[in-house]
Amino acid sequence: MIDWSAFLVVSVASLFSAALLVSLYSLGLRLLTTAGRIPLVEPHEFTGAITVLSPKKAAKQVKRARKAAAANPLTPGLKRLALCAGYACFVLCGIAVLYGVYLIVPALHR
Amino acid sequence: MWCLVPEFSLIIVLVIALALIFDFTNGFHDTANAMATPIATGAMKPKVAVGVAAILNLVGAFLSTEVARTVSGGIIKEGDGGVLITPELIFAGLIGAIVWNLVTWLMGLPSSSSHALFGGLIGATIIGVGTQAVDYNVVAAKVILPALIAPLIAGGVALVATRLAYTITRRDVGKPDGRGGFRYAQIFSSSLVALAHGTNDAQKTMGVITLTLIAGGFQAVGSGPTFWVIAACALAIAIGTYTGGWRIIRTMGTGLTEIKPAQGFAAETSTAATILASSHLGFALSTTQVASGSVIGSGLGRRGSTIRWGMAGRIALGWVMTLPASAIMGAFAAGLALLGPVGIVLDMVIGTIVIMALFRWSRRNRVTHHTLLNDIDDAGRVVNIKKTPRRPTRHGRGDRRKVSL
Repeated sequence: MIDWSAFLVVSVASLFSAALLVSLYSLGLRLLTTAGRIPLVEPHEFTGAITVLSPKKAAKQVKRARKAAAANPLTPGLKRLALCAGYACFVLCGIAVLYGVYLIVPALHR
Repeated sequence: MWCLVPEFSLIIVLVIALALIFDFTNGFHDTANAMATPIATGAMKPKVAVGVAAILNLVGAFLSTEVARTVSGGIIKEGDGGVLITPELIFAGLIGAIVWNLVTWLMGLPSSSSHALFGGLIGATIIGVGTQAVDYNVVAAKVILPALIAPLIAGGVALVATRLAYTITRRDVGKPDGRGGFRYAQIFSSSLVALAHGTNDAQKTMGVITLTLIAGGFQAVGSGPTFWVIAACALAIAIGTYTGGWRIIRTMGTGLTEIKPAQGFAAETSTAATILASSHLGFALSTTQVASGSVIGSGLGRRGSTIRWGMAGRIALGWVMTLPASAIMGAFAAGLALLGPVGIVLDMVIGTIVIMALFRWSRRNRVTHHTLLNDIDDAGRVVNIKKTPRRPTRHGRGDRRKVSL
């Protein structure tokens, strides 16, 4: 009595939710970049392990980001639109996470 | 339930204590699954990351009890004339699971706490009651198959998610792509993994304690975990997570697999989605294996990646071995426990000796990179990614077709 449909449900549900979250967040980042607000994350002091920017590299990236923003072909209005759309993507992503948690907690359905 | 406490026999108290210790070691061992990548990519400060992981494990343990019901109500058959399994056998199963867990940790073998737990219980039941006491259908449907399939699902999902993340944020070479922003996202995705861990791993211990209470006649057959059991298990796993974190912090920076923020985010989202969906259906899977599957999948989603089959084979062997090996340990412990009180004392002595020896060994060797993040890190090394993958450039668009995307 192996319930194969349960495995199908798990794979479809996880594929759909993960793809949705990642797409929304990536789209948000893309729109921010388009709007000229390139997210640059300052590395924390605790960064020995993985590829993390050195201060010199980070400064270089900030400079590059500024240059790219200056060369942005979009009009100010379009930039603002892209920025708003980017933030909307992040908000949607957050809502999707909360909805997912709501779905799996039985106590919230009673 | 509290009014019954004075009537608890010694063996039941022992089993509950042992189960909580198991829960603690589970949290201790698995902090790395959730929090290694955000700490390593600098997304979260270590202290904050570990604290958040502990709290979310606590919360996750309260969210759903489906997996606990699978453990307490399905795997070991409850016969017509009452429950066949005795607290002594559960005790033996736990000893087997803990010993196997610690031995694999010592040897640096990838293993799964959850499979060790089920293996120990099944082995003990077969020796103590007989092969007919185990419900093999449930074992296959809710333990073995999810164990095999869930890492594959997670890997596939992570592959798709990684490609999506890279494709959507792709810009021409030289232009900033803003992928550093995935570091912020990792704060949330790793928190989700910690939450998912609570919904699956804390449940297993709850299931075992509930099974013991049912076997001891303190709870009705087929009932779920009571509140104090849920609270105790949630606390044990949270404390374990918190203490385990300090170990990670102390040894960070010793060289992890290279995981980019975009990749880490995609992998963590896939892990969380797969575990949460499975927990909801009551599948008791190994969170470590799902996380490993995701890391491998997301590595394959990146450009210029190839699989190191030797490494993958070693990990797979560790996964396959855990259930039978811990079943043998559990069976051995059950054989001793059936001798009566002397056997139980003997079990305890052997268990204590093994734990003390391992503790002394780990003191002597301190914490090495291998004993630390072994499982996930091994998974990361399964995929080989070329340092300078060919990227499509504005001038060389013709190359684009050759790049495997």
